[in-house]
Amino acid sequence: MKIKKIIAAGLTVSMVTVLAACGSDKEAAPSGASDSNQGTEASPGNSDSAKEAQKSSSGSDVTITFATNVVGEKASALEAACKKFEEETGYTVDFQAPGESYEELMKTRMSANELPDVFTTHGWSVARYSDYLMPVNDLPWASDIDEQIKPVITDAEGNMFVLPVDMDIAGIVYNVSVLEEAQVDPDEIKTWDDFSAACEKIKAAGKTPVHIGGKDNWTIGQFFDWAAPSYYVTDAANSQADALKNGTFDTATWEKVAGLLDSWVKAGYLNEDSLTADYNSDIQTLADGTTAFCFYGNSAVVDARGVNADAKIGMIPIPAASAKDEPSLIAGEDIAVGVWKDSPVKNEATELLNYLARPEVTKGIAEAAGCKTGITTAQSEIGEIGTYLEKYADVETFPYFDREYLPSGMWDVMCATGADILAQKDGAIENAAKTMEQNFNDKYTN
Amino acid sequence: MKKRARAMNVFYIPAIILFSVFVIYPLCKGIFLSFTNWNGYSQTYKIVGISNYTRMLTDNNVHRAFINTIIYGVGSTILQNLLGLGLALLLNQKFHGRAVVRTLVYLPVMIAPLIMGYIMYFFFRFNNGALNDVIAIFGREAVDWLADGNRGVTILTLVNSLQFVGISMVIYLAGLQGIPDMYYEAAAIDGVKAGQKFRYITLPLLMPAINSSVTINLIGGLKLFDIIMALTSGGPGYDTHSLSTLVNRTYFGSENAGYASAIGLVSFILIMELSNIVVKAMEKKEVDL
Repeated sequence: MKIKKIIAAGLTVSMVTVLAACGSDKEAAPSGASDSNQGTEASPGNSDSAKEAQKSSSGSDVTITFATNVVGEKASALEAACKKFEEETGYTVDFQAPGESYEELMKTRMSANELPDVFTTHGWSVARYSDYLMPVNDLPWASDIDEQIKPVITDAEGNMFVLPVDMDIAGIVYNVSVLEEAQVDPDEIKTWDDFSAACEKIKAAGKTPVHIGGKDNWTIGQFFDWAAPSYYVTDAANSQADALKNGTFDTATWEKVAGLLDSWVKAGYLNEDSLTADYNSDIQTLADGTTAFCFYGNSAVVDARGVNADAKIGMIPIPAASAKDEPSLIAGEDIAVGVWKDSPVKNEATELLNYLARPEVTKGIAEAAGCKTGITTAQSEIGEIGTYLEKYADVETFPYFDREYLPSGMWDVMCATGADILAQKDGAIENAAKTMEQNFNDKYTN
Repeated sequence: MKKRARAMNVFYIPAIILFSVFVIYPLCKGIFLSFTNWNGYSQTYKIVGISNYTRMLTDNNVHRAFINTIIYGVGSTILQNLLGLGLALLLNQKFHGRAVVRTLVYLPVMIAPLIMGYIMYFFFRFNNGALNDVIAIFGREAVDWLADGNRGVTILTLVNSLQFVGISMVIYLAGLQGIPDMYYEAAAIDGVKAGQKFRYITLPLLMPAINSSVTINLIGGLKLFDIIMALTSGGPGYDTHSLSTLVNRTYFGSENAGYASAIGLVSFILIMELSNIVVKAMEKKEVDL
């Protein structure tokens, strides 16, 4: 009996110990740890683990976790930079690039207030992550941030929270050969009517004018992010920017945006499998010259070249909704890196950020992404893309529509309602506008 | 004796702690969140009463996902059990290559459902899909198999059933091998026909196996997730979502964690109740040897 009791007590103690260990995978900071916790603010729900340093902050025992949404070439370039940083400092960088699940993981970690020490913000440095990030205004490279990206990463109080390693200045990407074959002059595309006329010629030439990979829902959202600004905000005389920011959503205008997509479906300008194709097939068909246009940023050019090194891919600004307005470009974060404000290794994480801001490091990563650098001390050599960006340097840029003018969480609504239009469901346009308004109001008031 | 019983109770503690931390606490937290408007990551939220539950009554996406979930659950259960039983009866006979056939039928079970979904995507997709390549040989036009919601649900049910039919087969094989030969021998002496043997001997004595197989398949079908995410991502639109995938999309995509919790809770009750009903109905039909 006694033995049984001892076994039972032992089991209980070991189970409690195991469970306690589940609560934290981080070791307590030894005394004499660096002052990396200085400035840590108390925040609701802030766990004690932030205060328990995850590793000794002295010398080579420091481990900095770095999480990013980027994959492929971009992730490789970032990881290579982190490796060099490790060699230089003796710190360890735990590099994590979980791909598609990144956003879910970050939301879960935000809810637990347990973020990576350094992470990329995929377009949301201000709207979603600013409460969790350390302002970077006082860092040495802050004054070198490119003026084109500055408004996108600055909040109402003038705080910036990320290092924009590069910037996503995007228009509509196209296959040069397809347009030449269809005798379409890309420079003549100024309005959506011009774009539709171009699509008609491309269709007549036996090619797919626009390819959408709707199985990956986000590819549908891309269309709305590209088209909506031309109806809502780019025309200064009729801009609804303030109204949107003040919580007023105009359904009639959204019906026009949705109607544009609907008209393309009806006219046969989209690929037949727009509901079930994926992003990879978008890139494949753009690269192999069966598709003319795709609504993606410049990383699509890099991806297309990965499929077909000889593919000639160009870019045009996004057409205007009316002849009275001018075409525009989308400006957004691409690889933007910030430091968690409550990181137990904040100083070391800031060192990593400063390292990434070095011109030679920034240049390498931006070139892998096929984008312009986000700081003026470095210039990336990105071949034809650079030529196009230079060509359209005077074209006005606008932020990504959903990030700037819609409450967080609207992206999925845009994707879902867009799928109904692609499927040609009854009343899809009216339903899209109504659903957008309903969700806009719900999320705005929350 | 009482002292001994008290001492034995100590052994429950680890299990109770584990169950409380990993089941009871998340369940209670989920119930609480279902009454809030939490977006899934912010540090603040409001209590919204039962509005998440009333919203479900008018949300077509939830209705669609509910119907799909029932189809995935019931459809997969019927298919898996009919096919599994048929295969078990066949593979219970002695013939050359029996072990190879058993292995082949069971092999897909060992593939992760997510991988199975991606494999099937390459099979069913419009451009360069294996199925369209086959029908092109016969001069037929390519079909976008997954573009229609109803067809998508059917394909998902079929894929899930074919992947896991091996489990049913193994359960039925074990059940068949547990039936004593003397019943069949006695029946043979009485001149009973094969169909009657199956109806009056095999089927009643297989009831425990049918019970296990139906329950496992039903729960698996009702919580179908990975294959949907890989094959259709719940699309087109919301047409092929199950309640599980809808919870995921509502939570992370639409940032409605409170609403997602409410859907999750209803989904939990649905699976529990349906499984209970089926298990009880099957238990009544079991016979003792």
